[in-house]
Amino acid sequence: MNDLSVAKSVMNAVPVSLPEKISIRDLKFYYGSNLALKGITLPLYANHVTAFIGPSGCGKSTLLRVLNRMYDLYPGQRAEGQVLLDGANVLDPGLDLNLLRARVGMVFQKPTPFPMTIYENIAFGVRLYESLSKSDMDQRVQSSLERAALWPEVKDKLQANGLSLSGGQQQRLCIARTVAIKPEVILFDEPCSALDPISTAKIEELIEELKTDYTIAIVTHNMQQASRVSDYTAFMYLGELVEFGETTATFTAPRQSRTQDYITGRFG
Amino acid sequence: MAFDSKRYARRHRVDGVVTGLCLFSALSGLFVLGLILGTLLWNGLAGLGLAVFTEMTPPPGSKGGLLNAIAGSLIMTILGVAVGTPIGILAGTYMAEYGRHSKLTSVVRFINDILLSAPSIVIGLFVYTIMVAPFGGYSALAGAFSLAVIVIPIVVRTTEDMLLLVPNTLREAASALGMPRVKVISSISYRAARSGMITGVLLAIARVSGETAPLLFTALGNQFWSTDLTAPMASLPVVIFKFALSPYADWRQLAWTGALLITFAVLALSISARVIGQKRQS
Amino acid sequence: MPQHTVASFDQDLKKLSGLVIDMGKLVGTQLNHTLSAMRKHDVTVAESVIGGDARIDAQCAEIESLVVSFIAKRQPVAIDLREIISTLKISTDLERAGDLAKSTAKRLVTIGGDAKLSGVAASFSTLGERVEEQLANVMTAYANRDDKLALEVWAGDVDIDMLHTSLFRELLTYMMEDPRHIGYCAHLMFCAKNLERIGDHATNIAESVHYIITGQLISVERPKGQSDSGI
Repeated sequence: MNDLSVAKSVMNAVPVSLPEKISIRDLKFYYGSNLALKGITLPLYANHVTAFIGPSGCGKSTLLRVLNRMYDLYPGQRAEGQVLLDGANVLDPGLDLNLLRARVGMVFQKPTPFPMTIYENIAFGVRLYESLSKSDMDQRVQSSLERAALWPEVKDKLQANGLSLSGGQQQRLCIARTVAIKPEVILFDEPCSALDPISTAKIEELIEELKTDYTIAIVTHNMQQASRVSDYTAFMYLGELVEFGETTATFTAPRQSRTQDYITGRFG
Repeated sequence: MAFDSKRYARRHRVDGVVTGLCLFSALSGLFVLGLILGTLLWNGLAGLGLAVFTEMTPPPGSKGGLLNAIAGSLIMTILGVAVGTPIGILAGTYMAEYGRHSKLTSVVRFINDILLSAPSIVIGLFVYTIMVAPFGGYSALAGAFSLAVIVIPIVVRTTEDMLLLVPNTLREAASALGMPRVKVISSISYRAARSGMITGVLLAIARVSGETAPLLFTALGNQFWSTDLTAPMASLPVVIFKFALSPYADWRQLAWTGALLITFAVLALSISARVIGQKRQS
Repeated sequence: MPQHTVASFDQDLKKLSGLVIDMGKLVGTQLNHTLSAMRKHDVTVAESVIGGDARIDAQCAEIESLVVSFIAKRQPVAIDLREIISTLKISTDLERAGDLAKSTAKRLVTIGGDAKLSGVAASFSTLGERVEEQLANVMTAYANRDDKLALEVWAGDVDIDMLHTSLFRELLTYMMEDPRHIGYCAHLMFCAKNLERIGDHATNIAESVHYIITGQLISVERPKGQSDSGI
């Protein structure tokens, strides 16, 4: 069986004409000697939201952490294959990781505000790459907070500690912080799993708005959330890509029975 | 459910006895501490006066103070901590940040734990062997060095522990912004662990400011005022040790006063360490 | 298909499916009685059909409310979503088919026990039996999730269209022969049209069954019989 036929069998109603911001090609990932991703081939279309779903341990978070080389922080983890960001391989050992991460931002499961003021939380990352005047920086902080739909709630307390915000606000602060350094891709790793429904709804709406400017990938355990926020859905199981396709197609008529069993709650 | 009132009553009695024992133990600990503080205040306060801070340690039979000892203690403690803290913090940073999974870290941690619990007299002897005996003289430098050797393992330990408490998600979040490792450590990890690390240093100061044994073999002691780092230097613990064992009433009085000073200095350091630690939690 | 993690999920789906199958049987019986009333010119049976439609409406209402609460509670996706949406559509088709049977029965009552024009009786009987068969088959296809049978029903509607067209011409001929038959035949024309419409609903149900099973809508145009009847 050649690669093409493998790829075709998992593709569900995928257009071929969209530009790919990131192309994952035959990606294998190892935790030590343990093979966690078994040859994933997948596109992330520019200015679209792609959701990764699958049971715990299926490799979806691992895949996300390959895209910004987050795994590099830990010894014994390595990736093989290709992850092309605008055609350039992200897995290239000579790549400047900090520049990569500035282009591919990430929002985590738990809100992680830095132990500093709200203003500093955002300005801090910006200063790594740009030297802005005070007024430009103020402007950047404000626009980032506005982009993250947090500005009205914090505009009078920018000097308050970031940790003093509520969970949902903290998460939006983290999104603002990511947006502030103007990345091209934003990775969301279960961004709402620690949030209440209203905060979740706000973040989902935000993701919808952000995709006009960014390419977005989101890992979520919440099927409804995946179906709401994403344009494309990748279902993974045991380190393999079982199905990839338009979210609507995946959630109404999945091709693979494993996908169907998982999203309808019949797993096992 | 059948209610067995006998069993219930028995459980009640056992509960009462255990609570009583716990309370008794806590109170006896407090009582001993109170006794020590009381004795110190009773015996020490009598000798406390301006002269203690303005005059040198006297020859037997005459009036004097503890100025040279206080100054010596301050100089050697500051020097020891100034040398030991950076080394300790850097080593702790290596262990918690860079070499968390490396073999070297576990070796260093093991050795550090031994050093942490090593009797201070052993450290004094060690410094005596390498710094006093070969150069033929006791010196304040040797004293400060032996204090630094005591400071290092404490600071290494607290730095590593505090940095390990900083959630990895925070480091990942910082790295995800494209922040270089050095910046992540200095701006994020240190900031998050700051109060814990300061507490560690304060506790190290408290510990060394009361050490006698290592100074006996290294700085020896000095009856007179001296700021010469290459010469023997007086220190409070050593003075207390000498004066307390002497037959002269004046000296014994000064020893009590010195003990009072050290105890309250250490107490003040501990309390401020506690206060800083609490501020962190809020 | 493996069991759902939540047992009551499968139970709810099973219950709904059972209700739809029951409803199909009710409609089948109504249609059967209508046809037999037509054959025997039996007004009493026709009146019982008119009265029996309320049960179908009630069944439809029950299915609708169950579907609504199922969607609200369980947010079904994939096959469950297709199943639940199709359940709603099928029950609506069955309800409409029931209405058409009732409307036919009403016309039979209006016509009364008139036994004239026994010539068209055979044609009506053929059309009616074919419609009955289609309805029965599509409900079997639904109950057994039989895509092949559903597609047969879907393709078989062309027979009904042709039978209807020829019956239409037949009735037209009678009307032209003797204008006194016009009123009577006009009623019969509507009866024939109703039967044809029931066949269409069976086809709709076949499409729903196909959608449940495959997730695909039937995209090709359904083959039509001659429709020079102009309707």
